[in-house]
Amino acid sequence: MKIKKALSKLPLIILLTLAAAIWLLPLYTMIANSLKTQQEISQAQYYLPPRSLEWVNYVTAFGVLKQGLQNSVLVAVPATLIAVFLGSWSGFFLARMRFKYSQAIFFTATIATFLPYQVVLYPLTRLLMALDLINTKPGLILAYLILNTPMAMLVTATFFQSFPVELEEAAALDGCGPITFYWKILLPVGRLAIISTAILIFTMIWNEFLVAMAMTQGPAAQMATPVLAGLKGNYAQVWHIQMAGSMLTSLPSLLIFIFLGRFYIAGLTAGATKG
Amino acid sequence: MRYNRLHVILFLGPILIIVAVLCGMIVWTVAVSMDNWVGMAPVWKFIGFENYATLFKMERFWNAFKNNLIWMVAFIVPSALLGLLLAYGLSLSGRAEALFRPIFLYPLALSFVVTGTLWAWMYDPEAGVINNILKGFGLGNFIQPWIADPKQATYCLIAAAIWQYTGFAMTLYIAAIRDIPIEIFEAAKVDGASALQIFRHIVVPNVTQATMVTIGMLTIFSLKVFDLVWVITFGGPGTSTEVLGFFMFVATYRQAFVGLGAAISVVILILAILVVVPYSWWSMRRMQA
Repeated sequence: MKIKKALSKLPLIILLTLAAAIWLLPLYTMIANSLKTQQEISQAQYYLPPRSLEWVNYVTAFGVLKQGLQNSVLVAVPATLIAVFLGSWSGFFLARMRFKYSQAIFFTATIATFLPYQVVLYPLTRLLMALDLINTKPGLILAYLILNTPMAMLVTATFFQSFPVELEEAAALDGCGPITFYWKILLPVGRLAIISTAILIFTMIWNEFLVAMAMTQGPAAQMATPVLAGLKGNYAQVWHIQMAGSMLTSLPSLLIFIFLGRFYIAGLTAGATKG
Repeated sequence: MRYNRLHVILFLGPILIIVAVLCGMIVWTVAVSMDNWVGMAPVWKFIGFENYATLFKMERFWNAFKNNLIWMVAFIVPSALLGLLLAYGLSLSGRAEALFRPIFLYPLALSFVVTGTLWAWMYDPEAGVINNILKGFGLGNFIQPWIADPKQATYCLIAAAIWQYTGFAMTLYIAAIRDIPIEIFEAAKVDGASALQIFRHIVVPNVTQATMVTIGMLTIFSLKVFDLVWVITFGGPGTSTEVLGFFMFVATYRQAFVGLGAAISVVILILAILVVVPYSWWSMRRMQA
């Protein structure tokens, strides 16, 4: 009986495995070829595994990407922290307090979250120019802050809404006001929500390209994504270096996905389904 | 909990300022779209709808517009459908689900620039991975020019986006299928329903909300698609793969036709409003429920 049941699943498993193979092929290609020698690449048998591990490709790619990766960290980390703080600060009030205009603010913030960046891209550029922040890391932080705080608010508010009402009731009895409540109760209770939101926002900023490219020129403030796009042009046909560079740029978000995947998915579904 | 007016200002001030700045930028874009602004320095010379008239006479604009429409159909339908089928397949596969799930989801964690770099090589007609594999397995007849062919190129870009976003649809559908009460499935099984019948009569009707969300999010995505076009084809061959977001960037930042670029932004804005406003309304109403 058990064997029969297992057998009946076999076609399904075969189909899923085939699909999985297609989905993994680009990742395999990226990893395998990032470790090949120039000679192996020129033999053009990309589906074969590397004969030896050419870590020196990563050294070359890192040489190009080093400052971009560093800038990405210096932009994405503070922008995420501030956006999640401001977002959860407002999100808490909207989700937990009875307030006349909550709905209207929610509605506006949802629209702001999903508007294509192109609609505000050039005025944002002019704003940073006027503030003398164009082509600087603080300028990028400000740009990402404006673009991502509404989403941070939406996602945290979604999480906060699911918390039990008793939280406030107990707090109100103790005579605790909204500010104390946010710091002393909501943040500790909601830390998983905060982490999920932070992971979502961080990955979005880390992977972003349009704003990163429009607001910077030259290496000083450029983030990893435009540098990688430039590397693709400068190392045309030098596939192993391109792939090593792609791996390096993906590493933070892939590591987050592997080790904190649960939070990543929680943030994603909260952002999409309720937002 | 009691709060006073000071609390309202304190808690909602930051988000209101940010939303106000965003609104101001949108108004600014609309205003510039009616100006004869060419070059780096601001030119505030009102010319009414002339930029739009110019735009609507450009074949390049309509080509980009058409490509956005192609993106909407050819990207959304397969991503949503594949996502649903995978979600159902995984729900039937038992313990294998934990193994398969991340395999279909990991592309979502990558930057479009990485996806672009990767797929630009996959599709390269001379030295690309796909043609290389086809040749290696004796399937030389299936070799294609891929992104070098103006007729295929947009669909190649879309296929890369499907690869990246199917996992997103799948995740939403997995959550939706989990929310269906288990008793319904059990009752259906007792009645001898096949997996296909269960899919058709229980799963599909019960995941409408997930479908709405998926279609909403993917429509928004297909309106703002830019990175993949930039990295893989740079709009080419010729202008065949250009989309509105790409055309706007080139017009504004490369050619300094700021007024014209703003007009393209307004077209994107109108298309986005058509999707985003009903979507936000719908999700806000659902949030209250």
